[in-house]
Amino acid sequence: MNINETKESSYILFSLVDTTYAIESTFVKQIEMVENITPVPNSPSFVEGVIFSRGQVIPSINLRERFGFPKKEFDLKTRLIVVSIDKRLIGLIVDKANEFVSIKQNEIQEVPETITSLSGKYLSGFTILGKRPILIFNVEEAMNLSDISQNILEKQNLTGE
Amino acid sequence: MARIKNTNNIDNNELIKQKNISLDENIDELVEVADELNSGVETQIESLDDLMSRNEELSASLKETATQSESIYSSSEEIVSGVNELAASIEQVSKNTKVLSNSLDQVATAIEQSNASIQSVTSNAQEMASSAQQVTTSMNELASSIKSVSEDTDALSVSINETSATIEEFSKSIQSVTDNADNLSSAAEQTSSSINEMASSIEEVSATTENLNSIVEQVSVSIEELTKSIQSVANNSEIINQAASEAASSSTEMESSIKSVVKLTKQAEEVGHKMTKDTEEGISTAQKSIQGLSKINDAIKNSSRVINEMGKRSKEISKIVETINLISERTNLLSLNASIEAARAGDAGKGFAVIAEEIRNLADRAAKATSDISTIINSLQEVAQEAVVSSNEGIRISEDVNRLSEDSLNGLNKILVGVRDTGIVISQVARATEEQAAASSGVVNSINSIATQIKQIAHATNEQAKTSTSISQNSNQMKKIAQQVSIAMGEQGKAARDIIKAAQNTTMLAIQTKKAMTEQANALKQIVMATDSMRKNAASTSKAIAEQTLAGEQISQESNRLVKIINGVVKSMSEQSEATKQISNSSESIRRQSEQISVAVEQQAKTAKEITSAINNISKHIYSISRSNNENSKNVGNILSLLKKVRNITDTNAKNVKITRKIINNLKS
Repeated sequence: MNINETKESSYILFSLVDTTYAIESTFVKQIEMVENITPVPNSPSFVEGVIFSRGQVIPSINLRERFGFPKKEFDLKTRLIVVSIDKRLIGLIVDKANEFVSIKQNEIQEVPETITSLSGKYLSGFTILGKRPILIFNVEEAMNLSDISQNILEKQNLTGE
Repeated sequence: MARIKNTNNIDNNELIKQKNISLDENIDELVEVADELNSGVETQIESLDDLMSRNEELSASLKETATQSESIYSSSEEIVSGVNELAASIEQVSKNTKVLSNSLDQVATAIEQSNASIQSVTSNAQEMASSAQQVTTSMNELASSIKSVSEDTDALSVSINETSATIEEFSKSIQSVTDNADNLSSAAEQTSSSINEMASSIEEVSATTENLNSIVEQVSVSIEELTKSIQSVANNSEIINQAASEAASSSTEMESSIKSVVKLTKQAEEVGHKMTKDTEEGISTAQKSIQGLSKINDAIKNSSRVINEMGKRSKEISKIVETINLISERTNLLSLNASIEAARAGDAGKGFAVIAEEIRNLADRAAKATSDISTIINSLQEVAQEAVVSSNEGIRISEDVNRLSEDSLNGLNKILVGVRDTGIVISQVARATEEQAAASSGVVNSINSIATQIKQIAHATNEQAKTSTSISQNSNQMKKIAQQVSIAMGEQGKAARDIIKAAQNTTMLAIQTKKAMTEQANALKQIVMATDSMRKNAASTSKAIAEQTLAGEQISQESNRLVKIINGVVKSMSEQSEATKQISNSSESIRRQSEQISVAVEQQAKTAKEITSAINNISKHIYSISRSNNENSKNVGNILSLLKKVRNITDTNAKNVKITRKIINNLKS
């Protein structure tokens, strides 16, 4: 980490309940509009269903539901960010995602303890872009800590194979 | 033949000449006659004029005569009545004269009888004288003896006579006293009665005075009331005067106010005319505004439709904007994915990343523009919605306005009618106020004259009040005087009653006096009778003495004296006889004269009757004269007219004569 302090990474900015989050673009496979979600039976409530994109079936998680925020109707701004973790694709449904920015590594601060205790491992850092506070979203942790999602991912894998 | 003819011609010529000569002569005669006729006619005219003037004078004198004869007639009637009265008095005189004559006859016969008796007395006396001569001698002695007795008796007789005379005088005086007492009694009665009358009149006067007193009191009271009422009238007239002056001032104010009302009504008339014009203009304006309102309504409807259309279009636009928005979002998404791909590509994808960035920027700008458009269109749609609402409201309002303006048009029409009526009324008011102004100036004049009259009345009532106060004072004085008069009348009544009592006493005293006097008179008569009997006794005593003388020859001397006395008696008797003869003669002459007077009076009566008849005849004649005078004056008038006609005829005759004369002159020439 020390060696790469000046290293610059590209992030996709998305917002969820008026809070802007940044996700590293290397994890993002693609971004899509939320269209034609197929609900999945016996799935947890935060799982909206699956979508079919570019010949692949992608499970989609409602991040609001996942993070305990109230649900919101999908609209024109609603985006599905397809992330790829361990060669697995997961769709994260967010309120908005329309910015692509570069953030230097030294500009990212550690997350305050107060927030960590609450949000846990889902956040990897904190930065100010312009005057906007931006939370760095930890994709890996978010995916790992979700057992049920794991379960889903397993199922997906089964089907995918 | 020719000679004969010639001679005939000569004869004829001669004849002609002769005839001419005779014709000339005749003409000359005719001229003379005409001249004479002319002169005669002229003289006739003159005499006619004279006659006419005389006739007129005659007519005038006839009229005068008629009036005089009428006056004569009336005076002759008066004379007749006077003569009748004269005749009546003459008849009375005649009757009286006859009575006188009869009484004179009676007197004459009485005188003759007395004369005869005197003559017989004379003869008896002569016989008595002769017998007395015889007695005388015997009587002389007795006479001498009786002489003393006789003297005494004579003295007695004289004294008796004196007594008798005195008694008679006394009787006369008593009689006069009695008469006076009678007079006194009657006077006292008269006085009593007049005093009674006076007392009654005094009582009447007293009663009337009391009435007067009460009347005066009433008058006084009524005068005081009158004074009070006059005072109140004066006060009222003062008040009226003030009121009249107030009325005058207020009527003047009224006049000025009426004049101002006249001005105001004229102004109101002008204002009414203006109002009529304005109302008519308002009506036309309202009609125009109604027309304009319907246009506005149409315009609002049109605009509403346009706005609706615009709203629809804006919705379409918003759909388009959504599409654009979607496109920009997708563009953004694509650019993001491109950026992701470019980042994955590493350095090779850096240029692509820049392009993707620019595309994303464009997409952002487009999104921003579309969001701006969207907000604009939203606000536009809101505005359009509001415009639709407000235009609907406008339609509703314009319909309301239309209705209201129709109502206001109706109202204006009504106002116009009202304004016209008001104008008519105002004209009438103006006329009436002008008449009122004229009338009020008359009222002012009359009120002013009333005020002056009232002032005069006030002045007069003040004077009346003063006068009535003095009248009241005078009436109070009158009241006092009347009371005093009443008291005095009461006192007078008392005095009159006392006087009546006194007069009654006087009357009673007079009656008593009269009674006493009558008794005295009776006593005196008895005394007179007694003295008469005394005198008779004396005479019988004298006779007895004479018989004594006769019986006593010794008293012849005394009888001689008696003879002498008797001779004296005889002498006086013969003188008496002569006197009676003379009386008889004179009475005879009186009788004759009275007879003559009677005759003369009868003649007078006759002549009076004759005069009466003559005057009656005269009056008849005068009447007839008057009538004939009237007829004469009528006839004279007729004559006058006839004379005028004759005059005219003679004038024409004179003219004709002159003409004839001219003709004759012509003929002559």
